[in-house]
This record gives sequence, C-alpha cells and structure tokens, in this order.
Amino acid sequence: MIDMDKLVDIEKSTQSKQVFWDQDIYDRELERIFGRCWLFLAHESQLEKPGDFFTTKMGEDSVIVVRHTDGSLKAFINSCTHRGNSVCTADSGNTRSFVCNYHGWVYGTDGSLVDVPLKERCYHDELDMSTMSLPSIRVESYRGFVFGCFDEAAPALVDFLGDWGWYLDTWMVGAGEGAELIGPPSKSILKCNWKVPAENFVGDGYHVGWTHASALEMLGGELGGLAGNRANMPFDELGIQITTRHGHGFGVIDHAGIGIHEKREGYAKFLQETQPGVAEKLGQPRAELYDGHWNCTTFPNCSFLYGTNTFKVWHPRGPHEIEVWSWVIVHKDMDEDTKREVVKQAVRSFGTAGTLESDDGDNMVNSTRNNQGRHTRANNMDSRMGVGHEGPHPDYPGIVGSSFIGETSYRGFYRFYQEIMSADSWDAIRAKDEQWADCFPNKDYWKDRLAAKAKSGGQ
Amino acid sequence: MHNIEAKDRVSMQVHYDVSQHYYQEATLLQEREYQTWLETFVAKDIHYWMPVIERRYAKDKRAEPTPYDMAIINDDYDELKQRVDRLGTGTVWMEDPPSSVRFLLSNIEAFHTDKEDEFVVRCNFITTRHRGQLEKSQHVGGRTDLLRKTEGGYRLARRKIVLDARVTEDKNLYIFF
Repeated sequence: MIDMDKLVDIEKSTQSKQVFWDQDIYDRELERIFGRCWLFLAHESQLEKPGDFFTTKMGEDSVIVVRHTDGSLKAFINSCTHRGNSVCTADSGNTRSFVCNYHGWVYGTDGSLVDVPLKERCYHDELDMSTMSLPSIRVESYRGFVFGCFDEAAPALVDFLGDWGWYLDTWMVGAGEGAELIGPPSKSILKCNWKVPAENFVGDGYHVGWTHASALEMLGGELGGLAGNRANMPFDELGIQITTRHGHGFGVIDHAGIGIHEKREGYAKFLQETQPGVAEKLGQPRAELYDGHWNCTTFPNCSFLYGTNTFKVWHPRGPHEIEVWSWVIVHKDMDEDTKREVVKQAVRSFGTAGTLESDDGDNMVNSTRNNQGRHTRANNMDSRMGVGHEGPHPDYPGIVGSSFIGETSYRGFYRFYQEIMSADSWDAIRAKDEQWADCFPNKDYWKDRLAAKAKSGGQ
Repeated sequence: MHNIEAKDRVSMQVHYDVSQHYYQEATLLQEREYQTWLETFVAKDIHYWMPVIERRYAKDKRAEPTPYDMAIINDDYDELKQRVDRLGTGTVWMEDPPSSVRFLLSNIEAFHTDKEDEFVVRCNFITTRHRGQLEKSQHVGGRTDLLRKTEGGYRLARRKIVLDARVTEDKNLYIFF
C-alpha cells in the first residue's frame, strides 16, 4: 500500500527515503509520472529532413522519434507489433522505413505497417495491416525542443510547461533564432534513483560550494567565491529560486551565467550583444535572468544548466539506476567558433568526464544505495531550507524563493510528485490548478521585502 | 588534427623503447603521480581527446566526429593541467580514499610519420577502477597517439581515446587513459 501523504509530508517539507528505493513506488512512477508527463525526446535540429530519426527512451520504453515524409514529427514505441523485437537498433540516422530484424516486417516513418513478408501465401492475405501500426505517442515541440507523452488526456505541452515556458523563453526565444542542442549525447550509467539528480538540478544551489569546492577553487571567476562556503556572501541578494505548476523549477545566480566556462570570449560577447534584445522582446525581468547561471529541471527528468549549458535527461532503469544522456545547449545565432567554444567548455565541466560532474556521482549513488538498509529508509529526508522566505513575486510567475540557495523548488518538485502520484487522472490534477501554491503560505514575502528595500533606498 | 599518416613500422628497438615508455606512463598514473606525468610525458601542444561515437547503421555516410564536435574529453594542455591540479586541491571528496586505477596495455603498434621525431602509436587498453568496498568499473578501448621524441624522452602530442562501449558503465570518466 502506497500512502503518498505519508511518503511526502508537505507541511514538514520531508520525504520518506523509501521514494529512492521501493520497487512498488517506482512502478507507480512509471505508470503515473513517466506514463503521463511530457518527456524530452530530441531537438528538432537533429530531425531536419524527412526520414531523420533518433532513438530514445520514455521511462523504460524504447521510442523512435522521426521526421515523417509530410514534414510532421512522429514518435512510436520501438517494438514490432508481431513478436515485439526492435524495429530500429541505431542511435540516429536517416531512413525511409524501419525493418524488424526478426521476420522482416516493414514500417513507414509514420509507424504504419507497410510490408509483411509472405503476406499473401502464409497469412492468406487475411492480415489487416492497418490495425498493426507501431503504437504512436503524442509529439509536441516547444521552441524546437521535442517532447513525447503517452497520455492522451494530458494537457498540451505548452500548458504542461505553463509558467516554466515563460522562463524558458528567456533563452529559447531571447536571442535571435533561439537555441539548439549539440549531440550526439554522451551516455553513462549512474546507480542512483532518477529523482536524485532531478531534485539536485531543480533546486540545489546549496551543494555547489561544498561538493564542487575543488573545481570552483581551480576555476576562480564569478563562482570561485562559493568554493568551500568560505566567502561571506549576501546570498539573498545574489539570485532567486523558482518553482512553477507541475513541479518544474530552477535557481538563478545573477550575472554568473558563464562563470564555469574557462574560455568564453565568444560566449561573453554574444550574451552582451544580445541582452538588450531580450529586454526589448521580453521585458526587463527576463533580461535580468538572461545572463544568470540557471540550474533547472523540467519535471520529471529533464535537467539543464543554462550558462554552463549542459542539457541532460535522466532515464530510469529501475529504482536504483539511471542512464544519463548529455547534450550541449548553444544559441543558433552564435558563430561556429563560439558554438565550438561552448561545446568544449560544457563538456569539460559537466560531460561524463567533467571536472564538476565528477563531484556529484558519489553523492547521488550513496543517497540511493544507503536506503537498502531497512532502518535507514524508515527515516525521512529534509528540504525545509528557506520555508516562509518565498512567495508570489510582482515580476516573476510561480513561487519565488529568497535566494538561489534554498529548497523552494525541491518543495515544489515533491509537492507535484505527491500530487501526480496520488491523482487518478489528469482531470484530478487540473482540478487543483488554482490551489497548487497554497502550501507556500507567505503570500506577502516579496511585497514586504521589496517594500523594505524601496524604503531603504535600495534597488 | 589527429589524422597523421602512419608510414612504415618502426624497428624492434624503437618498438621496445615506446613500449617501455608506455609502461612507465601507466605506472606513474597508477601511482597518481599526475604532476610528474604532465610535466615529463606530455607535450605543451597536446590534444587529448575522447570523442562521442554513436551507434549508426553501416550504410550511414555521415562523417566521423572531429575535435569540434561533442566529446567526452577534449582538452588542450591548460585544460589537462586543470584536471591534474584539481586532484591536488585536497577537496576532491570522491578521491579520498583514493580509487585504485590499473592500466593494461596491449597490441602496441608503432609507425614512422613524415617527421623523423614523431611516431604514430596505436594500442588497446583495459582500464579498471576500484573504489570503496565493492565498486568497480572497466573500460575497454583503443588509443591512437602521436609521440614526439625529444632530448628528455618521448612526449605525448596527440591522444585519441575510443571507448568500445556506447554507454559508459561508470559514474564518471575522470580517469587519465
């Protein structure tokens, strides 16, 4: 029996350690989270020409996403409707059809079954091929980022992202033609629960100074002061943290966007030149965020760092293991040299061999593995940092936390986690659209703080 | 950058020298003498590279990855030096207690190039890392190096490392190959 109210205590800001370990909870996650949410599949720049395909995963299901001959994007389950073998075994490519290696069934780029060997003689021409298409998956794009969803009742992607889309536009729309991803993705196995990196990216500015002390010490620059938490910094003045409907969230360190990049002349110049355009197009609040360093998770399992520009998907492989797929974010309008510079720097920091990435793995593995102990997992995890120091903001949608170091977006992530795990359907989730932020009761936090600031003559 | 043409195979003596050089290098890295390795085995114009290689159909005619593409490691000397320096900061928690890394090198083939003092050397490797109580990983692949003979011995000027696994079965690849 899974009691979500017990596993996630909204009032106390705790989560049972069982959520990182138990098989029955994981099975429900596959059904209710990975089976219902929009999951990142690919970027359209990988799928420009008809027949361009990319194979990926949604939860533990193998999925093909492909540009159909009519120009639309299609996605379907990579499993033959005859006996279940894969119909595509390459990572990516261009093809006119997908042919099963087992008996040679042939599917078109819309997933329809177009040829069956010996159909006339052995099926006696009685096989209704129109009923044997590969199971199709909803596909929608947001600013070129392609997502898939198994649930017909789920809201449109743009509504699933909601206010999070408003923030994403800062860099997806802000500069010229928007952003794209550079791949192919590097892939690695991390023996942790999928939520550990998802929660880390959604809202863990706290670990940066300590976990990454060595790399920050070496790098110096804007973020060097965080190393070892030694510097006396006014954290409430250096950035904010935000959670939005459906569990998405992020933290921003102001004006520190490219702080992790060692070689960054091109990127710095690009940001400087494009920032005024962001203000014109989207207004000053988002222009303020544009040159910040963002740590983000699009619920449930797609995380990225804007600034450092690594873009990751955490594919679950059981409750205790994930596959990490890593791309690099670049702006389409960057010149080739700048794109190359960004790719090289992003890989150096947060690639599989990255100087910062390497710090995180142990924490994530041990935070999972320790729960093998039954007395260990009988306890709770805590995420109360900054409770009450958060609320609605006049300029920024969602719930805004006082600093980039705080656990506002952890709380938002697990609030929605509890909601979607408890809900029977998307209708039940929609019914709570107006109340979702009730668990952040300090509605006047920003009103009071901004008023106090204005009174003292601050900006 | 890495497409330097391999000419004739080297003599038995040079092959022996190169092999011994590799074993010394492996010993230094196993003993975590990274600074010594960097200062005495690595050329200042090093390009140290591990590309990402997709699984593609045989008929796929797209180009092989270049150092301008997505990679796992793509370091020049300064970047390699940072990798080494980081391990000396005393705050790399995951390396305390340190990992045990071991290098098994084989199939060493060395060739002359257009330049008298430069050699293309290929080899296969199995690199293992053991950590903590039970944690172990193993990486199998091939290396293609450009070694330059100097008065102070051979210096590594290029290293392309290709892993055979598409998905790395390890939490990171912060290992010198």
